[in-house]
Amino acid sequence: MTEPEQAPKVPRRIGVVVCQCGGNISDYVDTEKVRAEIAKDPDVVSSRVEMFACSDAAQQASVQEIREKKLDGLVVCSCSPKLHLATFRAMSARAGLNPYEYTQVNIREQCSWAHTHDREGATGKALRLVRAGVAHTEGTEPLQRIRVETIPQVLVIGAGVAGLRLALALSDMGLSVHLVEKSDHAGGNVARWGTLFPSDRSGEEVTGQLIEEVRGRQNIQLYLRSELVEKSGRVGAFSVRIRTGTGDTIPLTVGAIVVATGFEPYQPAQGEFGYGLEGVVTLPELKEMLAKEPRSLTYHGKEVRTIVYVYCVGSRLPEGEGVQRTYCSRYCCSATSHVSTTLNSVHPELHQFHLFRDIRTYGRYESLYEGARRAGSVFLRYGEEDPPEVSRDDQGLLVRLKDRLMAGEPVEIRPDLVVLVTGMAPRPNEELNRVLKLPIGTDGFYREIHVKLRPVETVVDGVFIVGTAQGPKNVAESVASSLAAGSKTGALLLRGHVELDPQVARVDPTLCTWCGECQAACPYGAIDRVLYGDKEVAQVSPVLCKGEGGCVSACPKQAVSVLGYTHSQITAMIDALAREEA
Amino acid sequence: MTEVPKDYDVLVLGGGVGGMESALTLGDMGFRVLLVEKEPSVGGRMILLSKVFPTLDCASCISTPKMAAVSNHPNVRTLVYSEVDDIEPQDGGGFLVHLTRKPTYIDPAKCTGCSQCETACTVAIPDEFNYGLSGRHAAHIAFPQAVPKKAVITRTGSSPCTFTCPAGVKPHGYISLVRAGKYEEAFLQHLEDAPFPGVLSRACYAPCEEGCTRGLLEGSVNIRAIKRFMADRYYAAHPEPALVPPAPSGKKVGIVGSGPAGLSAAHFLARRGHAVTVFEGDSEPGGIMRWGIPSYRLPKDVLARDIRNVTALGVEIKTGQRVRSVDELLQKGFDAVFLATGDTGGRRLSVPGEDLPGVWDAMAFLHEINARSSLSFHGKEVVVVGGGNVAIDSARSALRLGAKRVRMVCLESRPEMPAHRWEISDAEEEGVEVLPSWGVREISGEGGHLQSIELKRCTAVFDAEHRFRPVFDESTLQRLETDIVITAIGLVPDTSPFVGELAMNRNGTIRVNPETLQTSLPRVFAGGDAVSGPSMIVTSIGQGKRAAFSIDHFLRGETMVPGEFDFRIPEADKVSIASRSRALGTVREPSHLTRTPAAERIQSFDEYEGTLDEAAARSSANRCLDCGGCSDCRECVAACPADAIDLGMRARHESLSVRTVALATGFTPFDAREKPAFGYGRFPNVITGPQMDRILAPTRPFNAVLRPSDGKTPSNIAYVLCVGSRDEQVGNRLCSRVCCMYSVKQAQLLLGALVSTEVTFYYLDIRAFGKGYEEFFQQTKEMGVHFVRGKVGRIEETDGNDLIVHYEDIEGGGGQKTARHDLVVLSTGLLPTQGAAALFPKGAPEVDDHTYIREVDADLEPGVTTLPGVFVIGSATAVRDIPDTIVHSDAASAQIASYLKKGGAKT
Repeated sequence: MTEPEQAPKVPRRIGVVVCQCGGNISDYVDTEKVRAEIAKDPDVVSSRVEMFACSDAAQQASVQEIREKKLDGLVVCSCSPKLHLATFRAMSARAGLNPYEYTQVNIREQCSWAHTHDREGATGKALRLVRAGVAHTEGTEPLQRIRVETIPQVLVIGAGVAGLRLALALSDMGLSVHLVEKSDHAGGNVARWGTLFPSDRSGEEVTGQLIEEVRGRQNIQLYLRSELVEKSGRVGAFSVRIRTGTGDTIPLTVGAIVVATGFEPYQPAQGEFGYGLEGVVTLPELKEMLAKEPRSLTYHGKEVRTIVYVYCVGSRLPEGEGVQRTYCSRYCCSATSHVSTTLNSVHPELHQFHLFRDIRTYGRYESLYEGARRAGSVFLRYGEEDPPEVSRDDQGLLVRLKDRLMAGEPVEIRPDLVVLVTGMAPRPNEELNRVLKLPIGTDGFYREIHVKLRPVETVVDGVFIVGTAQGPKNVAESVASSLAAGSKTGALLLRGHVELDPQVARVDPTLCTWCGECQAACPYGAIDRVLYGDKEVAQVSPVLCKGEGGCVSACPKQAVSVLGYTHSQITAMIDALAREEA
Repeated sequence: MTEVPKDYDVLVLGGGVGGMESALTLGDMGFRVLLVEKEPSVGGRMILLSKVFPTLDCASCISTPKMAAVSNHPNVRTLVYSEVDDIEPQDGGGFLVHLTRKPTYIDPAKCTGCSQCETACTVAIPDEFNYGLSGRHAAHIAFPQAVPKKAVITRTGSSPCTFTCPAGVKPHGYISLVRAGKYEEAFLQHLEDAPFPGVLSRACYAPCEEGCTRGLLEGSVNIRAIKRFMADRYYAAHPEPALVPPAPSGKKVGIVGSGPAGLSAAHFLARRGHAVTVFEGDSEPGGIMRWGIPSYRLPKDVLARDIRNVTALGVEIKTGQRVRSVDELLQKGFDAVFLATGDTGGRRLSVPGEDLPGVWDAMAFLHEINARSSLSFHGKEVVVVGGGNVAIDSARSALRLGAKRVRMVCLESRPEMPAHRWEISDAEEEGVEVLPSWGVREISGEGGHLQSIELKRCTAVFDAEHRFRPVFDESTLQRLETDIVITAIGLVPDTSPFVGELAMNRNGTIRVNPETLQTSLPRVFAGGDAVSGPSMIVTSIGQGKRAAFSIDHFLRGETMVPGEFDFRIPEADKVSIASRSRALGTVREPSHLTRTPAAERIQSFDEYEGTLDEAAARSSANRCLDCGGCSDCRECVAACPADAIDLGMRARHESLSVRTVALATGFTPFDAREKPAFGYGRFPNVITGPQMDRILAPTRPFNAVLRPSDGKTPSNIAYVLCVGSRDEQVGNRLCSRVCCMYSVKQAQLLLGALVSTEVTFYYLDIRAFGKGYEEFFQQTKEMGVHFVRGKVGRIEETDGNDLIVHYEDIEGGGGQKTARHDLVVLSTGLLPTQGAAALFPKGAPEVDDHTYIREVDADLEPGVTTLPGVFVIGSATAVRDIPDTIVHSDAASAQIASYLKKGGAKT
């Protein structure tokens, strides 16, 4: 069998770094063996093992090696590119190596961690992965990032406390803000909430002040009864359309989009802890009652002498079908402690029983819990397997509970009011999700890139999620997250330009015969039909293209490829992976 | 108002995850950021964690990109190992920041992070980055992923021994070398700091031992004995010096006197390449060391060997040449002259009978016996007058000459006697009788023969100002029959030849500049007893060294900076070191030298003190507490391939102007010792949560999960939650937010790492409130971790270092119960970091009831403090977990950006 003829291979000068990840890799993979084996590749002119390839010292060593050995390609075998691709690309750039001549090989998540009980097998696999990485690098070419101007305007969706406060911060930074609110008034949940914890201020007052300040700003435009209906373009310059209450659509160009759509209070089903019975209300309903009638405590004209709070309604549920309510809603323990203390301060004779699972008045909110206990509230713990029962008979409401403190002894309380401490639920936002296509977690809230380190950013560059749209939060936390997005927006827009990834699709016009398959496959509208000589061919807009490659597989002529992942590179990688060495 | 341009837009104080996040975000926005971190690396507490909840990301893996990004960001300047001293608001806005860049003693520009210094370092101290679980070297890189990856030497002060030595010898240095078995290096290090290790190992009064911190515990390290071990060992191996003279400088120095000061100066000058000639009037060199100290204390061959170290450097000693004038030397073409003529002889008593035969001046007496004369006091009675060390030497020598009775009389009462107390007790042990508080009235004899000495009671030696002004009771007299009287009541400096040439002090000593030892003639320097009056050998060696230092400067045409000679940094705090050691509870008694019994040793002038054997020397050296951290042994200097070590580095102060300040000073971990009932610090198998995180981290101190007492794998681990949180007793009523979750995370990691280990939580509420936390907690429950609701009252230890946990079982039927565990982890909480207020002497941002820095409006204005232009980040305003710290840091960054964009005038 004769080998297909290949273009003469240009010799490369590739460096390889094998990372031990402080044992994460080297405990399961013989890193030195991997290094020694790959060093035999004629294109590999340097190879090292590092304890932490990402550490400053190791990076400096790599920079020095790139310079001294005049490397034209670099492979770091370490963790997932999600973690360190950017790190090592930046390092390559510092050393004068085009960052797109760098290849990351994942021998941690895809190798050492997956094969912790087979050192030999893991080592063999790591070696194949590295060979593929080197094969990929042999086919790289230098690419330049695409620099595009950014628009100093921001679209903020949702005019609750998070959106309002964010609008002011962006305005302070000199950015123009389009604040879009679906309902007919700004202020969101907080405006209806009554007294806030821990500040004891009225939610209506707080949001009222913010709205007033927003209305006074030249560079903030507030759109009520309005929705985002269309979005195209790219980070730094999105084209969007807002449909207003009058049915008009307004086209805007914005540099970034922030989603601050907030939450919905969990709505218990009929019968859930007696919901639907007279005298059984949710926490938000109680708050609204109190906001309307702050001095007197009556329900349907009758004075309330005893309240039972049932915690974790709609939160911390076992896994089930559809949207999961397994999460803790975070704010409710503190809010309920605060409400009961406030009530006791006005009605010292009021009896309040809190049926809880764990009291989560974390951090400084512990003093709210302490305050409630001091004010006379009684806390009784129930187990998830033994929830309290709420019923109503001729004597009125009856709450039955097995008290865990008294070795499960049954307790009966006859309250005038049962308050279901309901958690936060995600908003459905169907229209918005259709337009923005943001990832949503199993809990129904928008999903961030990384819950610890990048909690307000999404996989869509230039689109941020803040406040309770990302997950349950109290007021302070919502505002903090909105301002965090404010600073990320500032970092994106204040410089006036962004740089985009050049690893985008490219059409070889000599092969293309324009069938339109690629255009149909592209969700970004990045492909146009143009004339090439006297024939029609496809052309990719590098600014709009995301490099995701849908067009590549759609093309019947193999005329489209993504830079950095060309057909010849992929083939070479597969060959390297499959190659059996003597 | 026009604003003066500032060096930076933002000072971020603290390089933990919050500070780094803020610095990066602000830098990305285009602001110029100064990030100041007090530790040698950025990364804060997060980099020390194993994995982080709820994602189980490796903490290193997600921290290092930020650390590297911060140090590479074009808009961020990072200063590590630096402390802000104060922050001063400026007229017209902004702040002037005064900061100290602590000395790392390693030039960061040269350091390559190769760790060779760490390997060479002879000092081990508790590793703060491993929360004391393991040791580290004084020269070290904070942790493997440190940014910048530069070594730092920990020096908390000059160790008291080193600080005390008048000759600038560094006992801590050679002790740490002896401890490491590097005996030759120890000896050579001593030689670098001072000549005469042999002499000093025998005849020094060892002020270092007085200074030794261990003296506050079981007793000082026997430093002099350790020195003798290393000197004897070196001389046994090297009968002749292997030193090579350095390249000549072309300058000539003449030295008058070959005592400790003269030869010390010769030694240091020769090492700088100067041609040195020493003129000695006597027949052999050594001065007081040769002629004043009897050989039972200092064998002559040891002195001779010490002197050969000096002559090996090219120093020429001309004996039998008494110099009559300075001019005479200058005529001979010396570029500089050092006068170290010492003392000529003893002070006279000025009483009748002083010139009778049989009355000796002590110096003449000691000279005589040191010249190996055939003098014998066989069967005679001797009275020595004087209470100092020379008197003691005379008395003990007299015994060795065969005297049948030797008495010492002195003016001083016993506690006032100037002789060292061990000298007095040694003398008494040998049979010398000491008669304190007597003065001499007269010495009498008949027919030219000494017969007796008459004494009068001395009632006071010093006056109220502690001046020498003896008062006698002439009515209380006593007469001692005696054959010999030796007077040893003080020494007179030998400066008479120079009286016309140089400015003199009234007491006959040469007048010098005390800093440089320069006399009234620029090329002439003087030191030792000729300048200071009678002193100790080690002090004179120090004087010679100082003279050499200034003569060398003089010859090179350099001016001496005052204080430059003194290499020391302030003394380490003995009291805190001693109490730290006391807390550890390790007792190590000093080892003692062997000595010939008194009755036997007075039969000859042979040395009577033995030397330590190797094992005793090393165990003695092991008693060293490493008070100041770095011992100054200089092994790192030799090891460093980049020549980066600079032990002379000192703190540098910088003042910079900034427009805003962001305090990211983080939290302070609760010290579990404050809950004594839990036994932390007493029971080895009670550890803290942060320590367990280190044990589980990829850069862990041990290679496995083990319990500290015996290194065994724990099989039944308890977690005690809320230690130092929700606890009024310790003054922290707040919840620390992170402990439940870090403990839950550790439980998952433990169950993954150890096959058959039980983990039990003692808790009140599990606060799994953040995104993904509750699910993580439920998963942990399903993995089989036991959750027991109840408070732990106390913990006791069993014989095998297991632990009995006493707890209140709230839900298991109530009541007090006990459970046995083989490892207990205390989930310690986080407290506010104190000290931020002290940075603002002209008015600080307010703190809240819990001493966290207060936000003006925690709901709507995160990060804004009560002081305009000053912001607060992360846990500095309330403890936070990592995600909330990130969010808060970025929120504060937005506030800072708004403030700056609006010209810094936001109200």
